[in-house]
Amino acid sequence: MSEPAPVQQTDEESSDRTEEDIHRDTPEGVSHGASPDPDVTTGAESVVAALRTAGVELLFGVTGGAILPVYDALYEHDQITHITMAHEQGAVHAADAYGIVTGEPGVCVATSGPGATNLVTGIADASMDSDPLVALTGQVPTGFVGNDAFQETDTVGITQPVTKHSSFADDESTVGAEVGTAWALADAGRQGPTLVDLPKDVTGASTDERPGEPETPDTYDPPTTAEPVMVEAAAETLATARRPLVLAGGGVIAGEATTELRRLAREYGLPVVTTMPGTGAFPQTDPLSQGIAGMHGTGYANMAVSNCDAMLAVGTRFDDRLTGDIETFAPDAEIVHVDIDPAEISKNVEADYPLVGDAGVVLDQLHRAIPGRPPAVEWRDRCRTWQDEYPLEYETPADEPLKPQHVVERFDTVTPADTIVTAGVGQHQMWAWQHWTFTEPRTWVTSHGLGTMGYAVPAAIGAKLAAPDREVVAFDGDGSFLMTAQELTVAVREELDLTVVVLNNEAVGMVRQWQDGFYDGRRTASEYPWVPQFDAVAEAFGAKGLRAETYEGLEECIQTARAYDGPAVIDAAIDPEENVYPMVPGGGDNARFALDSDQLEGLQ
Amino acid sequence: MSRGELPGPPPDDRLHPDGRRNGQGIRVDPAAEAEHPPERAVLSALVTHEPGVLAEISGLFSRRQFNIESLTVGPTVDDDLARMTIVVEEPRPGIDQTKKQLEKHIPVISVRELAGNAVQRELVILKIEGDRPAQVNAITDMYDGRTLDAGPETVTVELTGNRSRIDDAIDAYSQFGVRELVRTGHAALARGEAPTAQVSQPNQAPTEAQVATEAVSDD
Repeated sequence: MSEPAPVQQTDEESSDRTEEDIHRDTPEGVSHGASPDPDVTTGAESVVAALRTAGVELLFGVTGGAILPVYDALYEHDQITHITMAHEQGAVHAADAYGIVTGEPGVCVATSGPGATNLVTGIADASMDSDPLVALTGQVPTGFVGNDAFQETDTVGITQPVTKHSSFADDESTVGAEVGTAWALADAGRQGPTLVDLPKDVTGASTDERPGEPETPDTYDPPTTAEPVMVEAAAETLATARRPLVLAGGGVIAGEATTELRRLAREYGLPVVTTMPGTGAFPQTDPLSQGIAGMHGTGYANMAVSNCDAMLAVGTRFDDRLTGDIETFAPDAEIVHVDIDPAEISKNVEADYPLVGDAGVVLDQLHRAIPGRPPAVEWRDRCRTWQDEYPLEYETPADEPLKPQHVVERFDTVTPADTIVTAGVGQHQMWAWQHWTFTEPRTWVTSHGLGTMGYAVPAAIGAKLAAPDREVVAFDGDGSFLMTAQELTVAVREELDLTVVVLNNEAVGMVRQWQDGFYDGRRTASEYPWVPQFDAVAEAFGAKGLRAETYEGLEECIQTARAYDGPAVIDAAIDPEENVYPMVPGGGDNARFALDSDQLEGLQ
Repeated sequence: MSRGELPGPPPDDRLHPDGRRNGQGIRVDPAAEAEHPPERAVLSALVTHEPGVLAEISGLFSRRQFNIESLTVGPTVDDDLARMTIVVEEPRPGIDQTKKQLEKHIPVISVRELAGNAVQRELVILKIEGDRPAQVNAITDMYDGRTLDAGPETVTVELTGNRSRIDDAIDAYSQFGVRELVRTGHAALARGEAPTAQVSQPNQAPTEAQVATEAVSDD
């Protein structure tokens, strides 16, 4: 950046605290359990001690009545920083993104009743995407439970279907250990969200029980190593395949197996496609990268998926947005499926070679077992031909409004390679996914499986706090932004240097695209007859507000936003006619993706 | 005005694979497509004996649309554990999926599918019209049942057995008029010395890999 950073002080009493201060770590090598921690005298202090022992430094939360003892235990606690969010949904998404970026569970806190139910969307989101997350919820005192007390809900009952484990803490002497277990469970094996419900009388009760290191239950024992016989058989298949393909899912990133994956693919010359959560597992700049697969994946990725004869699928659950019609999914391929969760094997797509274990360990096993490079010269040529045939091209006529693809590409060009991109859900998310060049894991932070609009802004907050030294850009749609825009106040208060780009087409664009494609253009409830001025909204919240309407203006906005030391919002007035292609219609055949609206029509 | 259209050969001009999978994601040879008719399987699960576990497990079945015929739960020799006996009716891939999903739950310690020869019993209590008590008694004797209560209006009997035996008995009683009945669902244990559910291998399903390995080793 050449421009000097214009500094605008938004808070008269702005403290001198920097992000680095917030993140001041306990020194390396010092046990988290070491004793500067205060004594434990109550259940709530035991909860906080458990979090400290787990190494938790940040909590994202919203306070309230039943959770008061826990907040009281945080008073004067100098090793855990609480980020007060505007809404519990913001807290859970921020914690979720923090977990994605750091790889360790993010922790969110809410009170009972509405506090807990407001978390549910974010917990379900984390469950779908296997994100490490711990939710702590207040609960009415145990004597009131079941009597429809003020702000009582059956939080465990509500969240059980969307968590890895939910528990009700009914004993002050074990409540700390229970929180530790929740943290360990969220982190271990296939990661996911856990919840501990904390009744006010339990957190308020006296106990001096200091919880030990977080441990999963004895009966929890995720697999690590795959069956050697099966590994041999799979290796043989991959080595003899004429059209081999790697499908890298989110499990490659969650399992810290990107190094193993890259080595395997490069050594044996295997083209690699990634799923949406797997984006960043393999550098998109690598000659073997065959792009992103699925409903709005690239044409060349979907052609490779459909026509491969052996697929090494790692850490993916074969979501329907990836597979399309299951009957046409890679129908000629023998499938080697690596997953840490046995229940994912043959759930949606039958695995010819099920390899249950940790992604890195199993890829290592495979690497050792594969006898040689498969005869795939022709296949790699064909893959490159598809790349040439199906480029993600777009035009930027000067007399038309801004193209969203261009906005994404410009940001990608000017920002460093380790920049973290967050996104909400909709067309803007697809453009960000398609037009950003991802090269590193944990740089693409969005809502995949649940499709939660409103994810981008709170996720940017969590991501920035997880990686204060890296740039964070949130792409959002006008519809998504309106769902969680209030969290900008948190970014301002915490002085987080991040940029939100609202790709504003004054519509819930993806829904409108479906209505145009599948409902004869009957655009019920998808077009906003009026939207607020998002730059002015940003300014009112204390952030920097900018508006981009032309290509020239965009460049200026990008410069100003990046130079600004604090949260900035660019309201980018994009071409409202622009739609997302390629597109495989829901339940369609991946190889028959539509490249325009006429083709989409022809596929129905 | 551009609407996001992209270049490239249209759908019908593209290379397209010949193969196909079935709805369960299994590659099929169209000439010899394998069918997976529903089967009945008896699953026995050891779970921690604590509040909420029954709700958690029954919730799993409804949310994943697994078909259950019956689910019973009760204490075991270990006070901290309870045993659930679940009879499911699903195609084979569905039964495997049911077992694996059960095993994922933290309170579930072990899951076993019992062999066809497992000891299985169900209890039924029937309230039958009391017009012809002698004939009702004859049927009760025939099925080794017991009369629990007899009055001028109704006769109440209990009997145990496997499913088909109980179905037959209910059929036999129906000629007199059955006012009400209650069935407990199945309780089952593995036959002979074989343990019904092992605690020594906590939470470790015989994975698909382990099962399939045997097949591979045989080749």
